[in-house]
Amino acid sequence: MTNLTAGVLLFPLLGFVILGVTGSALPRRMILAVAWGACGLAFLLATISFFSMLGTPPAARTSDQVLYTWVVSGDFQVSFGLLFDPLSATMLMIVTGVGLLIHIYSAGYMEDDPGFWRFFSYMNFFIFAMVLLVSADNFLFLLVGWGLVGLASFLLIGFWYQRRTAVAAAQKALVINIIGDFGLMIAIFLIFRQYGVLNFYNNANGPGVFSALDPATTGNRLQLVIALCLFLACAAKSAQLPLYMWLPDAMEGPTPVSALIHAATMVTAGVYLVARAHPLFELAPTALTIIAVIGGVTALFAATIALFQLDIKRVLAYSTISQLGYMFMGEGVHNYSAGIFHLTTHAYFKALLFLAAGAVIHALGGEQDMRQMGGLRSRLRTTFWTFLVGTLAISGIPPLAGFWSKDEILSSLLAQATANHKAISYLLWGIAIVTVALTAFYMFRLFYGIFMGDYRGSGRASHAGDEEEEEPSRRTAGRFTIHEAPPIMTIPLIILAVLSIIGGLVGSFDLISLSKWRPLTAFLAPVFADVHTMATASFGVEWISTLVSVGFALLGIFAAWRLYGRGFQYKENKNPFYQLLYHKYYVDEILDAVIVQPILWFGRTAARVLEGDVLDGGSRAVAGGLRGISAGLRRLQTGYVRNYALAILIGVVLIILYYAVRG
Amino acid sequence: MPLSAYLIVSAILFTVGVVGVLIRRNPLIIFMSIELMLNAVNLSFVAISSKLDSADGQMFVFIVLTVAAAEVVVGLAIIVSIFRTRRDIDVDDMNLLRG
Repeated sequence: MTNLTAGVLLFPLLGFVILGVTGSALPRRMILAVAWGACGLAFLLATISFFSMLGTPPAARTSDQVLYTWVVSGDFQVSFGLLFDPLSATMLMIVTGVGLLIHIYSAGYMEDDPGFWRFFSYMNFFIFAMVLLVSADNFLFLLVGWGLVGLASFLLIGFWYQRRTAVAAAQKALVINIIGDFGLMIAIFLIFRQYGVLNFYNNANGPGVFSALDPATTGNRLQLVIALCLFLACAAKSAQLPLYMWLPDAMEGPTPVSALIHAATMVTAGVYLVARAHPLFELAPTALTIIAVIGGVTALFAATIALFQLDIKRVLAYSTISQLGYMFMGEGVHNYSAGIFHLTTHAYFKALLFLAAGAVIHALGGEQDMRQMGGLRSRLRTTFWTFLVGTLAISGIPPLAGFWSKDEILSSLLAQATANHKAISYLLWGIAIVTVALTAFYMFRLFYGIFMGDYRGSGRASHAGDEEEEEPSRRTAGRFTIHEAPPIMTIPLIILAVLSIIGGLVGSFDLISLSKWRPLTAFLAPVFADVHTMATASFGVEWISTLVSVGFALLGIFAAWRLYGRGFQYKENKNPFYQLLYHKYYVDEILDAVIVQPILWFGRTAARVLEGDVLDGGSRAVAGGLRGISAGLRRLQTGYVRNYALAILIGVVLIILYYAVRG
Repeated sequence: MPLSAYLIVSAILFTVGVVGVLIRRNPLIIFMSIELMLNAVNLSFVAISSKLDSADGQMFVFIVLTVAAAEVVVGLAIIVSIFRTRRDIDVDDMNLLRG
């Protein structure tokens, strides 16, 4: 089997270095050549490795390249190694493939941005960091990749650093991600303390954690703590409750960044980590239940917020959080390959939705408010059709990609419920089903708001008669012409739309016949071979789950059509429930009041009391005391020579007396 | 003559010198008192040296005489220059170097 992971890692790094060092001096054509070349070569090498893997028998599909030894301490070793197995191969294909499409799209979107080279340099850096994350063969380098993608996210959210809000959002993302990094570090320390190794699996350089696990320790408190610390990291990176707040704010970054990092790849790192570390989670069933519950609550919570948002990117951001919740629900009921499957299809349709939203924003000169849109179906034809595909896919309408992956998670949930008959399992399935309806509703609300009805914005609706005017400055409201994006932006949209339609075909078709056609599950099987706890759905359960979910999706679409089918109309709504959702459950306000303000108060008080009264006051007291002492002592220095002589005499007499008395 | 006689004379001379330094205000007199103290010490040196049959004490006397001469030179120079600026050399008036 050919394993070219090192090359996949190397080229984006080279691209980042070249662009970072010389980018400002290069012409745009060269910048694109380097950025696209780096990403394209990475994708090419990943594809070659992937197909070579398909040509090997399933048992021999794992290869662990140890490039060099990083740390040696006694018999503890950490090597820099690249793990290439079906799971990382899937992730590599998504990261480099979707990454390449978004690199191409960005050339159009960022065309007139002065930070063109900086943008592509960061993007290549992100690809490098993400490849490192998914191909590291031990926890240490996983942590390195984990931290670097956080850094890339920080840099790209704050890309327009002149905007105060963008900088604040970048800081928020970084701080919350660091809470997660902290969890990951604690987990790594605990793993090291317990097992003494950090490799995932046995490799040339020593034993691995997952190979050393003892099934007898299932349910052990330490296993639970390790699993929960790992999940803390996942929750921060994948924007799950209670650490989701950074993702909606991250929409301050350029839209291609939102598509690549905050929808398709980086935020799925948490889903990847749970799948990668599944042997640890399998030993902590309580942690898996917690994951499933948090995933479910997050899915519902984010979907309800998305219902009434007006900023189109924020709707998509909350829908990303909600879909990530689905992935964790799937993993929480041991169906890891379903989580990865949904990750894959979500990468297609969510990247598609973001890029299409980007095309809309591009066409409207930076406008992101739904109230200023509408009626764009005839002007942005390609965007309209591709956005429709993405909307149908995320709503779970058969036979699009989102349907198959979501259906697999839903039927797993129901299968789990029928297997263990716990109320909470049924409740989770119910939550997931309700969320399906909400998803369909808010996505179609968004769709109708952007494309249907009449145009409500202030931009001129056509090019006619405007030719003599100067080049319209596109960032000024009302001074632009609505135009379809150039082909460099629409071609990635079309490719992603095709993937969103057919992407589900790699999943399982249990509805038609159980276990006949399930390429992705079979492909991932060697990785998840040690999972025996998954409840398998019977034929009837599959059909019940599917019919109910499609029914709820159609219900959501119908409701959206009834309310917004003739075009979106914004009305002030005083309903307290609406206000609660519109203000995102006031989470930001509550956090501000509960955490931010007390800390600020503490800081200000500390500045006044601790620094002013205690520290400054203390040094002032010392100075005053010394001044008092010296004021007394200086009296002795009279300036009269005879006084000094007398003092010397007294001193001498005293010394002589001392020796005389002592003998 | 016994050694104690020399030492008693020496002690009296030294005390006279100390009292002179402490109570007189004319720097010339103070200098003379200091000389008196030094010479009182010299007297004890010579007396004890002769008693012990050793030349060490007399060696010290020469050194003390040299130091005393040098000290007087410097001291008188200072007094002369103070007298030139102030027309007065009372030590109790020279108290500017105080804390």
